[in-house]
Amino acid sequence: MAYSVMIVDDSQSMRKFVRRVMDLSGFEVGSCWDAANGADALALLRTHPVDIILTDINMPEMNGEEFVAELERQDVYRSIPVVVVSTDATENRIRRMIEIGARGYVVKPFSPEALRGELERVLGVANA
Amino acid sequence: MPETGMSEAISAAAADVLETMFFSPVMAEAALDEAMSAPALAARLRFSGGREGTFAVRISTSAAESMAANFLGEETEQPASGQVQDVVCELTNMLCGSVLSRLDSKAHFDLGHPELVDALEAATPDSVSRAFELGDGAVAVFLHLDAKP
Ligand SMILES: [Mg+2]
Repeated sequence: MAYSVMIVDDSQSMRKFVRRVMDLSGFEVGSCWDAANGADALALLRTHPVDIILTDINMPEMNGEEFVAELERQDVYRSIPVVVVSTDATENRIRRMIEIGARGYVVKPFSPEALRGELERVLGVANA
Repeated sequence: MPETGMSEAISAAAADVLETMFFSPVMAEAALDEAMSAPALAARLRFSGGREGTFAVRISTSAAESMAANFLGEETEQPASGQVQDVVCELTNMLCGSVLSRLDSKAHFDLGHPELVDALEAATPDSVSRAFELGDGAVAVFLHLDAKP
């Protein structure tokens, strides 16, 4: 099945890269939306509900931590799984993001297989 | 923090980030003087948390352009200069995150936003530096830890 996805990162190049790596990995993307920060993503979600969200942490306006916390606060969005995609591989940060509501975490740099594996784990896709 | 540990963390992070995200394997370590001679782009960021300091990357324009093309998957078109700059900033961000996590995975770090700087300004005094040959140019990395307060 193809999933609708939202990619949130302040770097346009990174958003493009994440999309490309999802395709390379064989993860099936139906519709794909992207936003440069948490605030833009929330605005877009109102009209474009998605199956899964991938978000960076370090972003201007509304960072990934504020974004995940806001999704968790709103009943309509709480059920959408969020995977953090960040350069920060420190244990404290990973634990903190999971505590506030993220379901998965992928550290940059990542391989296509690692990204796909984490997305499928979070979505509960059984291994083929 | 011993300088050898910092050097090794930079080398390991560079190999990992360049190969995994940019499909630009490191060919060899390069001499810093050589890496500093070609026209280049540079980006720098401040970090705080477990340790404070400055992290900078200087990359030859030719290497930056082919790296951006690899990153964006542009096989035919040359990326625009704004895209190349965005990719250099993202490279700086990823290298810094990767180096700091290697130096201390139990610490907490906050990375500032990478900013483009004049290529001559990338090398901060007293920084630990490493340079790498990428085939179509070189990249140099500079890590400066502030003195502990
Ligand atoms: Mg970012």
